[in-house]
Amino acid sequence: MLELNAVHAHYGKVHVLQGASLQVQSGEAVGLLGRNGVGKTTTLKTIMGLVKATGGEIMFDGRNLTDIAPHTIPGTGIGYVPQGRGIFPSLSVKENLEIGLTKTPPSQVFDYVFDRFPRLKERLSQPGGTLSGGEQQMLAIARCLVMQPRLLILDEPTEGIMPILVQDIRREIKAVNDAGMSILLVEQNIKTALRLCSRIYIMEKGAVVHQAAAQDLKDDKETLHRYLGVTV
Amino acid sequence: MTAAAINRLGFVVVALLTLTAPWFLPLLVDSFWVDIYAEMLIWSLLAASVNLLFGYVGLLSFGQALFFGMGMYGVAIGVAKLGLGFWPAFGLGVVMATAMALVAGALAVRLTWHYFAIITVVFSLIFYFAALSWKPLTGGDDGLSFTMPPIVSIGEWELSLTDPTVQYYFIIAIVGICYALMGVILKSPLGSAFRAVKENDHRAALIGLNVYLIRLTAFVIAGFIAGVAGALFAFFGRYASASYMFYHVSGEAVVWAIIGGAGTLLGPIVGTSLLIILREELSHAWEHYLILVGVIVILVVIFAPKGLGGLWQALVRRIARPETPPPSTDAKGEDKP
Repeated sequence: MLELNAVHAHYGKVHVLQGASLQVQSGEAVGLLGRNGVGKTTTLKTIMGLVKATGGEIMFDGRNLTDIAPHTIPGTGIGYVPQGRGIFPSLSVKENLEIGLTKTPPSQVFDYVFDRFPRLKERLSQPGGTLSGGEQQMLAIARCLVMQPRLLILDEPTEGIMPILVQDIRREIKAVNDAGMSILLVEQNIKTALRLCSRIYIMEKGAVVHQAAAQDLKDDKETLHRYLGVTV
Repeated sequence: MTAAAINRLGFVVVALLTLTAPWFLPLLVDSFWVDIYAEMLIWSLLAASVNLLFGYVGLLSFGQALFFGMGMYGVAIGVAKLGLGFWPAFGLGVVMATAMALVAGALAVRLTWHYFAIITVVFSLIFYFAALSWKPLTGGDDGLSFTMPPIVSIGEWELSLTDPTVQYYFIIAIVGICYALMGVILKSPLGSAFRAVKENDHRAALIGLNVYLIRLTAFVIAGFIAGVAGALFAFFGRYASASYMFYHVSGEAVVWAIIGGAGTLLGPIVGTSLLIILREELSHAWEHYLILVGVIVILVVIFAPKGLGGLWQALVRRIARPETPPPSTDAKGEDKP
């Protein structure tokens, strides 16, 4: 479904992505882990066209995303929840949900989203900026879901959110994946990534240096310690 | 009373005062204030075009006078040179302004911030000097005068803007339609897209919004509004002049929009009215009255950054009954354990 082949990207003269390669199969949940500054967020931004790939290719369902304008990438079926939520604070919850839609989706889509995130339904007319951090994250995910993507990319969705809402968000990400949507997840919270994803890539210095099944990685304390500096 | 109800009440009061101004204004002040009020409404449309770009899309244009001037010249050339009637000349002015906005916008909205502001000034200056030098068509320094054609003519009966009452209500109707149109646009998904682009253009692109096209659309709509204002002003003064294309005129509109409240629909009317009243009252008495205008701008920017419109909204929120549930936590969106 999504395939990055030896992708390179630069911030000015700084060579950030140095041949990153990974794959996400249809219906799969894949985690992308690594220490701070190894290029995880840049990988996601490059997929979405926010950072221009200077080498390699990014294929999504047979289409090379490096050839198309960034604003057309969501239309190919990729939803992106950026780090720090990325909602529009002055727009109401309803406006935030509808802003990316090119046509009105069936009412079942909104029903599905409100079943997942009932807090949003209670606050439709409230400005997005007045929601709590957890609710803003729910809104950011819900905004992608109403666009009915086939692949959902999430950049640290549980960062800075109170524990009770982390559980909610984790549960809903699992639910949409169980319903058949592919997931590419960047997480600092290793436990969350290992719990939600079936396969994990580990990045270092702008490239993927290790991949393993989440179950195997959980027991591979040496790898976890070497690349992530943690034990689970 | 809710904030929406207070706003509705305020709107109804102002609308009633506007509709009855030709009767009550002469009772209170000199009757020439009816004309001044009509002029304020026309100029407020120019400020509204600045507001649409700056207050809703985040583009600060110092070139809106170009489209105002195009609207003026479209009408004047239409009537004086082409012998057109009222409505075709009006249409020509608006079409010329909108077409110019499309051409200028296609280049300008690729830029943002000061680069955008500079290129709008450059466009304005190019056509200002072109209008000054193309005397056979524009009349150069002297401008272009024309005789007012009737709005409607049936047999010997004519409805014309030469009748001050007809002129006043015609201006109110056109200005009202423009504000209603802007209100509809700003409440539509396109209006949400404008605000999304203003808040964060990268974020807007990430959810599939074509930022360039949205900015261009806003620029063309703003050009259309400025063009309508220019066409109205040409009919109001029965002439067109290149001086109205100069970037000083755009600068005044920017000040009116900021004082009135950028990002509020009716703020430009408030800002324009206040500063034109000041101009009319003070310019006779004190040559350097613009110093006072400058002081007012500084005070508003410091103490009411959202302008007088924002001040009104803050006041309404303070006295109104809340409509929505209180925020879940603090406004920064951080959860508290």
